[in-house]
Amino acid sequence: MNIINYLENNSKKYPEKNAIIFENEKISYKQLYNRVQNFSITISELNKEVISLISENSISFIISYLGIIKSGHIVHIVPPEISETNLDNQIKSANSELIICSENVFNNISKYSKIKTQILKFSEIKSPSKIDKISLKENPIAHLIFTSGTTSIPKGVGISHTMLEFTTKNIVNVLGHTSSDIDILPLPLYHSFGLGCVYTSITVGSTIILHKDASNLQNLLNSIKKFKATTFAAIPATLTKFIKFENSDLKNNFSNIRLIITNSTSIPKNTIQTFREILVNGNLATYYGLTEASRSTFMIFQEDSSRDNSVGRPAPGVSIKIDDNSNNEILIKGKNVISKYWKNENADKNIIDEWLRTGDTGFLDNENYLFLKVRKDDIINIGGEKVIPMEVEEIVKQIPEVIDVAAFGIENEIFGQVIKLHVIKSKESNLDKSKILIHCIKNLEKFKIPNKIEFVEKIPKTSYGKVKRFMLK
Amino acid sequence: MNTNIEIKDEIKKIFFAVFQNMNEQEFSWEKQQKDFKNWDSFAQLNLITLVEAKFDISFSLDEATEIKSANELFECIKSHLT
Repeated sequence: MNIINYLENNSKKYPEKNAIIFENEKISYKQLYNRVQNFSITISELNKEVISLISENSISFIISYLGIIKSGHIVHIVPPEISETNLDNQIKSANSELIICSENVFNNISKYSKIKTQILKFSEIKSPSKIDKISLKENPIAHLIFTSGTTSIPKGVGISHTMLEFTTKNIVNVLGHTSSDIDILPLPLYHSFGLGCVYTSITVGSTIILHKDASNLQNLLNSIKKFKATTFAAIPATLTKFIKFENSDLKNNFSNIRLIITNSTSIPKNTIQTFREILVNGNLATYYGLTEASRSTFMIFQEDSSRDNSVGRPAPGVSIKIDDNSNNEILIKGKNVISKYWKNENADKNIIDEWLRTGDTGFLDNENYLFLKVRKDDIINIGGEKVIPMEVEEIVKQIPEVIDVAAFGIENEIFGQVIKLHVIKSKESNLDKSKILIHCIKNLEKFKIPNKIEFVEKIPKTSYGKVKRFMLK
Repeated sequence: MNTNIEIKDEIKKIFFAVFQNMNEQEFSWEKQQKDFKNWDSFAQLNLITLVEAKFDISFSLDEATEIKSANELFECIKSHLT
């Protein structure tokens, strides 16, 4: 079964139930299915194999995504803020013949001279003149995402319906999703975390309260309260911002929440502890996965805090092993793992006998809990001593005037590499470099002390909050 | 911070920051790198890094590697500040 089958079933089971609420719009399961059906018929007439979808969060995004799939085409999902060059490269690699986008995105990309592909706004996709029963082809691939993640070269990743169904079932079973859930979703839908949440809600027949983004915390709190939400998906940075609110207010707002799901970007201990206290009737959970191997582990934070640094145990049907001969690289195998990249033989070398080499390093403890360390490429080698940048970052973050920090290796004639820090300090702070260094000297081994410090305004990060270190080196 | 006394005062603070277990009697301006318990290449790097940050100066590779005592560090800093 693919997501369309689940949608069709739920349109019969819960025809009048809200499938999605977004700002002032709402759409029931029956309406959603009908609009997806109509969209797919219109699209099928266009006879294109890969269709690019570029939009901010909206109901139209979800209808278009599902409509393209239902028509048997592959959805090439593109972040709305993509540059002209990257879009051009992706369109060529995906061999996409049509772009469907929001009005906002249209206003930007229609100015891109390199883009010769036909572009249609959502409003230009008209309902078919007559709704005939047409036989729509099936495509094993649901969508295509180009992921640069925390490495430098974007790779196309084609995600099959089989992978998506396997992963969604795991999410539902491990995290206990049901049709009674009301799901607050402020994550970008053009990433697998956000899109996976849509799959989960449609599969079980719950209601999605979709937000444009997570920038307005008060708005999210109001929404949680107003809709009596039961689940909330957010990246760790959003959760960390919440802890500045009064605990009692948060407890009150989150009283109905049974689950907060976040992703594997390192979650500050204080954030975990705060949400452990706030969620009187629920749990905080995280997962580890890549676009190529979605939701490979699950971690539900329990009373015992001894494994708060872990991303959990392998998901059902997923195997994880550590390659001792490759800096403790994490390897993953399972039905959630791609069999090959999109037209990229070089990248295919990362998949050997169905094991995906993730490029991340870590270890498994005696109860098979996975602990992440760092991407292999990000390990800093100082005269033979290996340093994990996050360890230095954690120490620097202890300084109250530090808002954010990124550590990375730079070339050095004597040591091969030394550590450089990019630090964002709070406005009007008098923090100087020597204070940071002295704090590091007090709290770190001597080979882990940064050699260069630069105060910056911004640190480049992925949408999930992972530092893009390759952009800093 | 230009007087010799002020510079020396800062250098001493830096030495005690980098060599955290060193007591007052173990420090002297003439004492050589080889006579310090933990003055290895990483400690050298940290001394230089902290001095560069504190005095807002930048040592060349030769300068950074040739400093073998607190006195030599003082002379080197002075040459950058004058």
